[in-house]
Amino acid sequence: MVYLIMCRSLTYAQRVSNALERSGIPARVLRSPGEISPAGCSYSVKIAARNLARALTVLKETGLPYLGIYVNTAGYGYREVEL
Amino acid sequence: MIYLDSAATTYQKPSSVYKAVREAMASMTSPGRGTYGPAARASRTLLACREEAAALFQVEEPEGVVLTFNATHGLNIAIHSLVKPGANVLLSGYEHNAVTRPLASIPDLHVEVVRAPLFCPSLFLEELRRRLNHPVDVVICTHVSNVFGYVLPMEEIAALCRRRQVPLIVDASQSAGILPVRLADWGAAFVAMPGHKGLYGPQGTGLLLCSQPGQPLLAGGTGSLSRQAEMPDFLPDRLEAGTHNVPGVAGLLAGLRFLRRRGIASLLRHEQALVRQTVEGLRRLSGVQVYAAEEKDCQSGVVSFRLTGRDPGWVAEALAQRGIAVRAGLHCAPLAHASGGTEATGTVRVSFSAFNTAQEVERFLRTLGRLR
Repeated sequence: MVYLIMCRSLTYAQRVSNALERSGIPARVLRSPGEISPAGCSYSVKIAARNLARALTVLKETGLPYLGIYVNTAGYGYREVEL
Repeated sequence: MIYLDSAATTYQKPSSVYKAVREAMASMTSPGRGTYGPAARASRTLLACREEAAALFQVEEPEGVVLTFNATHGLNIAIHSLVKPGANVLLSGYEHNAVTRPLASIPDLHVEVVRAPLFCPSLFLEELRRRLNHPVDVVICTHVSNVFGYVLPMEEIAALCRRRQVPLIVDASQSAGILPVRLADWGAAFVAMPGHKGLYGPQGTGLLLCSQPGQPLLAGGTGSLSRQAEMPDFLPDRLEAGTHNVPGVAGLLAGLRFLRRRGIASLLRHEQALVRQTVEGLRRLSGVQVYAAEEKDCQSGVVSFRLTGRDPGWVAEALAQRGIAVRAGLHCAPLAHASGGTEATGTVRVSFSAFNTAQEVERFLRTLGRLR
């Protein structure tokens, strides 16, 4: 299972990814899947489920903004995670 | 060739700049259009450039660093964002056409010029203070005159604008890379600068430091919010339509890192030493009128002069034939020449970079001395 941290621009997605990587959390920037990006063309940062809690701590500490966090559950597509 | 025209473009660049441009050409595509290797490398380069510039120029977030084609591009964005038809605009008397021409394209402006003698910052501030007692919508001021190297007292100018709550646009074309440029401390709305002068990047690059989103000059693809008809409302996307000059930005990043390694204070000392040597040498020659500040902090790495009885264009051409590159004429800044009293003929301008030496200045002076 993976989580996507959706950001409003590529620049923010890269900054989130860099901050996570600096904290030892593997992260990858990718284009957001269309189903979670109705306005078209946004970017997300993919992380493994086991790293979500640490990633949230990093996001809080750095103050980097994000639009939402989505989880991909097999067979059900993406759904937003209520935090 | 002895190159003394760095106020136009620095010709010699750090070797890391050439290398970065070549590598980017061979390994990067367009950022924001995918996450495959070459696109991702381009995206990382752009972000690294924004972060390096944000740290150097005191921009709170790297998103506030907008990549432009040159300073003129940035100034056009800033001016069209803040100056609306009918506005009251206050300018220094040392502005470049990159400021005055965009203003001329906006109808019904009331443009006032702060007139004060060359190299007299206290009189400039006095006049600015007086002008700010009247309604002013925007102040636009160059940090350093591209004609005379006159360093305007930007800390105080910015403080006055903050106190009167008047938005300030700064043209840092001649100061970026050699003097402290601080968006946050100044509280400026926008600061524009080229990449190809004191930042040692390639031509076709520039930066606009933004403390507000601004109005797009160009509209088009940004790789974000693509279903939306309007440009995104967030930076940097809002002001960066179309494909970036990725090799240029890679070179600019290398130039910014060069500045960090060398330190801008040491570069300023180097250029000011060359200016002093130039001024003293020119003053020893007969029939030369030199425009030099009494206080060294009032002048950066630019010197203008005139040779009695010779057109500046003739002097520049004669020097070019002897392997010395300088610039003559009005330097796209007739307003500055009017303020300096040189509008009738223009001047010959020499300007320096990190790569000039005292020996080059000596040879320039010897060559000039033989021209009479």
